[in-house]
Amino acid sequence: MNQSALAEASRTVESSSETVLSVEDFTLSFSESAKTNLIEGVSFHVERGKTLCIVGESGCGKSVTSLALMGLLASPPARIRRGTAMFGGKDLFALSEREKADLRGNDIAMIFQEPMTSLNPAFTVGHQIAEGIMRHRHMSKAEARAETLKMLQMVRIPAPESRLDAYPHQLSGGMRQRVMIAMALANRPKLLIADEPTTALDVTIQAQILKLIRQIQEETGTAMILITHDLGVVAEVADHVAVMYAGHIVEQGPVDEIFNDPQHPYTIGLFGSIPTLGRRQGKLATIKGAVPPLELMPKGCRFSPRCPFADQRCRDEVPPSPQLGPDHTAACWYAPLEQKLGARQ
Amino acid sequence: MAIPTLFLVSLIVFGLQKLLPGDPLLTMAGEERDPAVIEFLREKYRLNDPFYMQYLYWVRDVLTGDFGNSLRTGVPVSTLIAQKLPVTIQLAVMAMIFALLIGIPTGIMSAVKKGKAPDYAANAIALSGVSIPNFWLGIILIMVVSVQWRLLPASGYVPLTEDPIQSLRTMLMPSFVLATALGAYLMRHTRSAMLGVLSSDYIRTAKAKGLMPRVVVLKHALRNALMPIVTLTTLLFGELLAGAVLTEQVFTIPGFGKLIVDAVFTRDYAVVQGVVLCTAVGFIFMNLLADILYILINPRLRHPQ
Ligand SMILES: Nc1ncnc2c1ncn2[C@@H]1O[C@H](COP(=O)(O)OP(=O)(O)O)[C@@H](O)[C@H]1O
Ligand code: SF4
Ligand SMILES: [Mg+2]
Repeated sequence: MNQSALAEASRTVESSSETVLSVEDFTLSFSESAKTNLIEGVSFHVERGKTLCIVGESGCGKSVTSLALMGLLASPPARIRRGTAMFGGKDLFALSEREKADLRGNDIAMIFQEPMTSLNPAFTVGHQIAEGIMRHRHMSKAEARAETLKMLQMVRIPAPESRLDAYPHQLSGGMRQRVMIAMALANRPKLLIADEPTTALDVTIQAQILKLIRQIQEETGTAMILITHDLGVVAEVADHVAVMYAGHIVEQGPVDEIFNDPQHPYTIGLFGSIPTLGRRQGKLATIKGAVPPLELMPKGCRFSPRCPFADQRCRDEVPPSPQLGPDHTAACWYAPLEQKLGARQ
Repeated sequence: MAIPTLFLVSLIVFGLQKLLPGDPLLTMAGEERDPAVIEFLREKYRLNDPFYMQYLYWVRDVLTGDFGNSLRTGVPVSTLIAQKLPVTIQLAVMAMIFALLIGIPTGIMSAVKKGKAPDYAANAIALSGVSIPNFWLGIILIMVVSVQWRLLPASGYVPLTEDPIQSLRTMLMPSFVLATALGAYLMRHTRSAMLGVLSSDYIRTAKAKGLMPRVVVLKHALRNALMPIVTLTTLLFGELLAGAVLTEQVFTIPGFGKLIVDAVFTRDYAVVQGVVLCTAVGFIFMNLLADILYILINPRLRHPQ
């Protein structure tokens, strides 16, 4: 199969399912003058009922990307330089503040990493959930309270009636994250963004929360972007995986291909997986070296200072992102690795 | 906490009276200094009893509202306090309302518009509020508003019960003057409390729910920022009473401040003692109130785990 046929194939796959969000060439910086953009040319899409996992070392721009989609980045300093994020026929990046607020918590919702600090200590959890419901739906206080109770049941909080009037400090971290999930899902969003939702929790609680998110997603058909550090989570939850490095998506594709046939040197390093060993569980592997600061970012491939295969072209020129299969791309001069590196030696 | 403090304060006030130079009995006994008269007075004022008994008698008197009589005029100190205290409380309450009305909204606006023109303007005004001396501002206001424009009375006091409108009119300028420094102080505290709260995770959550900026700021942020402000306001109320002394002098208001200044200058120790005790009790009460309010408005303390 040649390139264009592959691209054709991937388009057919796309159109046969329902794309909820499609991000194209998203580029963002935090200062007017910076020569290098913090996020550069990021493209991905999420389908109804499907989960896209975004993985990558901390600081690579995962949270910034999700906050930008939510319209929660203060601008200034954040500035979206290029790109579109099509969601329900509208470009999220081109909406007015009012339109963004109308979407937030309604069609797009987000769960954050820090359950201990993400709830307002001054209000009961019932009030905080009901508030979001009343904001977007015409409901009386009593109706919103009944709906809130349903949500607390849905996220399997024990004795939900008594929790309605509890303050956040009276709940454990796991319970608070359940409340956050209830709040996020209260208005049946089409897209749920979960930014490391279990990182701050105990391991046993992590598994419960993850199972819960998975179950609810199956029940509601919500599309999900899940940001995680945990390869076990990726293996369990993801349909697609996008690997981010220093503000770029270096490789993305169906979860099986990313695990079994990674094509970008960074993905290989991160997943530390030799295909014959099968899927690696646990945390992402660490790769020698560190992400260079933005001012020192090489003008070619951003991974070149740490890449074992880097050559002069890698350092000087930004690599293309060839299609390696339906929906599978890798931003590397040597992708697919076996063929091209084999040819080099 | 309040009880031991009260005990300590009463002991100090009582002890100070004992330490004061000069024997009041000698003054009372007159020229002759008849030993029999002195002995009679000693018995009458229980000066032969041990110190702690004297103290207990004194505490009993104070608790029954008997602060003794003014050495100068013979009027009971309690009567003087009952006359003057309401004046100063009215001044302080009006000043506090002014300070809150100025300080909190500008503090909020300044935090929301951090680093922009409104923030700089509010900070400049706050700085002048702190640095302009009260007596100077008072005199300028009297000259402009009372003398030139003839809008408000320059001095005096009308009880609220007699003529509410006139009472408010006379107190308007003094309370504004008294409020300036406090308003500036409250503005700065509101600003920094709001800035701290606005960058917290739960504010991001409130925005993520799609709440309008007004709701995010005035409900979710302010509710939390106000917790320390309420405590601060209560404590500052005590300081206002102290600050009232100067303002009452400038506007010649017959209040608590004027009472204590006059008493000090005429060495009317009984009055000084009564006023000091009263002020101390006021401070302690405000501290207690601050603690209680803090518990009432803080869900963490109201609903323990
Ligand atoms: N408000 C901001 N101003 C400037 N830089 C920021 C801001 N927010 C985040 N960054 C930078 O963006 C980079 C990516 O951050 P983030 O998206 O949080 O990474 P992660 O992938 O761990 O979620 C970090 O290097 C961080 O320093
Ligand atoms: S382009 Fe070059 S430096 Fe970048 S990942 Fe590929 S081989 Fe490594
Ligand atoms: Mg992050």
